[in-house]
Amino acid sequence: MSDALKAFEDGLDEVEASYREVLSGAADEPSLRAANAKLVGPEGRLTKLLKLMKSVPGDRRKDLGQRSNAVKNAIKELFDGQLEALAAAAREAELTGPALDVTLPGRRPLPGRLHPITRIKHELMDVFTSLGFDIADGPEIDTHENCFDKLGFPPDHPATDMQDTFFVKGADGNVDPRTLLRTHTSTIQIREMSRREPPLAVVGPGVVYRRDDDATHSPMFHQLEGLLVDENVSMADLQGALQVFLSRLFGEVVEVRLRPSYFPFVEPGAEVDARRPGGEWMEIGGCGMVHPVVFEHVGYDPEKWTGFAFGMGIDRMAMVKYGVPNIKALFENDVRFLSSF
Amino acid sequence: MRASYEWLKELTGIGASPEEMAEKLTAVGLEVEAIHRFPAPEKVVVAEVRAIRPHPKRDKLRLVTLFDGSAEDEIVCGAPNVPDPGGRVLFAQLGAALPTEEGAPFVISERAIGGGPSRGMICSESELGIGAGGEGIFVFGATNAPTPGTPLADALPVGDAVFEIGLTPNRPDCLGHLGSARDLCAIYGVPFAPPTPPAPPLRAEGAVPPSDARVALGWAEGGREVALEDDAGGGGGGGGERRRAGGGRERRRQRRERRRGARGLWRGRRVLHGRRVGGGRLRERGARGESEEEREEVRLATAGETLETLDGETRELTPDDLLICDGEGPVALAGVMGGANSEIEDATRHVAIECAYFDPRSVRRTSRRTGLHTDASHRFERGVDPNAVPAVLARAAQLMAELGGGVALAEALDVVAQPHEAPRITLRRDRLDALLGYAVPKDVPARVLAALGATLVSEDDAAVTVTAPSWRPDLSREVDLIEEVARIHGYEHVPTAVPRVRPSATGTAPRIRFERALREQAAAAGLFEAVSYSFVSPAELRAARAPLDTVALANPLSEERSVMRTSLLPGLVAAARQALRRQAPEALLFELGRVFAPTGDRLPEEQPRLGLLLAGRTGGWIGAERERDFYDLKGFLEAVLAPGGLVPTLKAGAPDAPWLHPKRQATVQLAGRVVGTAGELHPEVADAFELEGVRLQYADLDVTALFAAFEAAGVPQAPALARFPAVTRDVAMLVDDGLEAGAVAASLAEAGGALVEDVALFDLYRGDNVPEGRKSLAFRVTYRDADGTLTDKRVDKAHAKVRKAAESALGATLR
Repeated sequence: MSDALKAFEDGLDEVEASYREVLSGAADEPSLRAANAKLVGPEGRLTKLLKLMKSVPGDRRKDLGQRSNAVKNAIKELFDGQLEALAAAAREAELTGPALDVTLPGRRPLPGRLHPITRIKHELMDVFTSLGFDIADGPEIDTHENCFDKLGFPPDHPATDMQDTFFVKGADGNVDPRTLLRTHTSTIQIREMSRREPPLAVVGPGVVYRRDDDATHSPMFHQLEGLLVDENVSMADLQGALQVFLSRLFGEVVEVRLRPSYFPFVEPGAEVDARRPGGEWMEIGGCGMVHPVVFEHVGYDPEKWTGFAFGMGIDRMAMVKYGVPNIKALFENDVRFLSSF
Repeated sequence: MRASYEWLKELTGIGASPEEMAEKLTAVGLEVEAIHRFPAPEKVVVAEVRAIRPHPKRDKLRLVTLFDGSAEDEIVCGAPNVPDPGGRVLFAQLGAALPTEEGAPFVISERAIGGGPSRGMICSESELGIGAGGEGIFVFGATNAPTPGTPLADALPVGDAVFEIGLTPNRPDCLGHLGSARDLCAIYGVPFAPPTPPAPPLRAEGAVPPSDARVALGWAEGGREVALEDDAGGGGGGGGERRRAGGGRERRRQRRERRRGARGLWRGRRVLHGRRVGGGRLRERGARGESEEEREEVRLATAGETLETLDGETRELTPDDLLICDGEGPVALAGVMGGANSEIEDATRHVAIECAYFDPRSVRRTSRRTGLHTDASHRFERGVDPNAVPAVLARAAQLMAELGGGVALAEALDVVAQPHEAPRITLRRDRLDALLGYAVPKDVPARVLAALGATLVSEDDAAVTVTAPSWRPDLSREVDLIEEVARIHGYEHVPTAVPRVRPSATGTAPRIRFERALREQAAAAGLFEAVSYSFVSPAELRAARAPLDTVALANPLSEERSVMRTSLLPGLVAAARQALRRQAPEALLFELGRVFAPTGDRLPEEQPRLGLLLAGRTGGWIGAERERDFYDLKGFLEAVLAPGGLVPTLKAGAPDAPWLHPKRQATVQLAGRVVGTAGELHPEVADAFELEGVRLQYADLDVTALFAAFEAAGVPQAPALARFPAVTRDVAMLVDDGLEAGAVAASLAEAGGALVEDVALFDLYRGDNVPEGRKSLAFRVTYRDADGTLTDKRVDKAHAKVRKAAESALGATLR
């Protein structure tokens, strides 16, 4: 029995004598942890030693138990202290050591981009949604009725000419004079009014087509149509809606001016100009009070309902906002262009 | 439309500056888009020709001795129309700065011409920038010419401003000066008094026109040369030589006309038809309006009838075309173009002047059918004033007599289909105020409408009733009057109110919001949005192996844009090709747009589709560079669709996508629905787009099907989050190369039973130590028990089943 006792005492003596050196010699956290494990880990010397405690004679157990615990606690205390010291040293080294080369290229997650036209379109949609308007759309190829007749264009109106409007070929290969690529998003007005009862407030962004192709015209471009129909809607409301919308769009209170103009489906009709504080007047688009003939065509009572409509070019707004010099650049899809905004 | 400031000033008596006048016109809807000015250059004076002698060396030059008020000098001149001694011309002295089209002035300096010095230049109107006068120098008339030395600014009424008015089609009355002048007077509140020449007595003779029309015919007899050119605008260019008229008044008119860009004297009066009565025909048949040949007939053409128009084309007519005929047959396509037989020539001495109103729709149809858009049709199809016909006829004859030195004959014919009935319109004051949003002062409506030429029928507290003026075909109902009152009273009176918007219960359709979300997700995932033209060429669609049953344009601008696209591929490939040619490292593109398919019904089917296209190389400054491949595309697809809570499944093969590589193609499914295809582009398709050897990854998704899948799946629901830890075990194996990794993973998951949470591939290897026809796959299997902490024993048991299944069911060799 005394062998066991002796072995235990010797072992404990040895651990007690060496642990400081073992733990203090570790230069970093992993080696400290490894050293610690050699002492008090599952296979550590002290751990193994303690498994021998049951063979120690009963009268010495209490005494040696207390001593063992004291060593164990001392090891833990030293380990914790060393750990803290190493962490502090590492922190200190990082904070005072060599700096990063911040000029190395970044590793980019590289998000993509929305097209500038889409960005403007979404901005417009957000503003109008916040004002209580719904977003609507409609087909890009539509009927002559929806594009012209129901909007009050007289038959054979110059705008309906083959010169200005793309018509499609019918199944027989001949021109179908009743089916065309919509020349404006005002078709959305007709479609919305035809399927819904007033009151209604909608805006319709979309692609439109005209037979124009030169330095400043693209045969395909984008418009946004707006329509509000209710009882007692006045031109003052139209001006107010435009003022609020344009102010929100530009992010500051803008001045709005209506100038008389002519569109068959509104009367009185106007051009909308806007001016930012200290800026120049900009042409925004066309607008006016919905013409009674339009209401008659969609089955609304023009004596009961009044409304306003407006339309504006999205491409032009994108060009102004993003400094695009040429409308064609919007449709060339040059990746350098697409990644710029 | 161009309008002369001086002329408007004369007609209205309003002395405002050109800028103010332009602002006022713009404010009532006659938008002045530009003001052109013709200032008189300095150092240009009137000079008298004293002598002319041939140039000693050059045939085409002459030496002209000029007296400029202070001295005589000999000038070299190449103009053909230098007047005889005594004639007066405009002379640019040394140092005169003449305007040029380029902007920088042309400064007169001493130059050697034909071997001798020349100090100054005899000028034409266009050289002086004061008109668009024809060939040759400007020569003053024989009488009343200013004395030599008079500066140009004093010698001629130059310095006019010309307004470029963007006229809207509802205002045909403003195609002449009278309309804009009348609006100006209404704005300024001054009376408008247009010149009213005495109308000749009209005899109602001739056949009544078959459709709504009115035609009057008068005659002028030329005393000297008659200064007219052909009438219909489409004719052979410059027309006849114009005579320089004598008096200042005529000169002024000519100059105004030229500055407006009009080509001849009569362009301001397109309703006129000057007829050739060459060869003395009219005289032979009695010039005084008495013989039976002076019939006027307006009739519809008969099928197969032809008419040679002024432009020299022989036109086949239809029974829808209206003709003006004299005793011998048709002389004009009514309101569109005159007949070649009515052209005025140098020798013309007698002119029949026809003034007419035609039904705008009839003119529009003929103009459209013949493709003739002339100055005449432009006016007639917008509507001229039917009641003005006799007065305009008289005015034309008067001017012709004054300017051409001729005599207007006293009688005229007039045929009217139906007298114009002015619409009677009532304007309700409450309606006016309600529509404009402010209380219009009581006196305004009647005052404005009267100023615009309406006749007041009645007025009380509730309403104003008027008849519309015959020159305003755009006024037919109440709202037209409301616009007139608003326009002249001023839109600036309209206040700004905040509209009441009653929001709908349903809001924006989910389909529309979905398209927006898709775009935003695609951009967030790292793709760049393209917007391409919707029209493409059939050749591009063939190259893209896209459907060729297309919606074709009847009147495309070019073959390149002649059919509506049936695929987004041509646009995206073009963008990628452009990017690679410009040495961009890669192109990561998407487009969300519609493709079109014929349906047999009137409207084609428009299908929104989402196209994803990847090309080029990926890699940064750390990590290997490599060409974008199929798995990049799959990753992007997952990234684009993931925010909706659904993960797409790819099934090998896409039989309906012939544009894809036969061995690198997949059908994309979402929540069990087929939503599109994805794969590498077929190398022959890449070749067809001149991208030989480039691998392009392309996914084509049906947005409607995507939307349906997301709608069916509903909103992602919060999952029960695991409370107990997971245990992972790896398994590596050799399997046949043809075995899909997805199938292996599914088998492993099934074999592992309920404890398997996930089976994820983490390594794929072919090559050394792997036999030919086999591949090495390594999976990490995640085990978890939702109800408690797993013991090693349970995991070992489950994993043993997984390993066993790999060997027995998949023929794998475990490693």
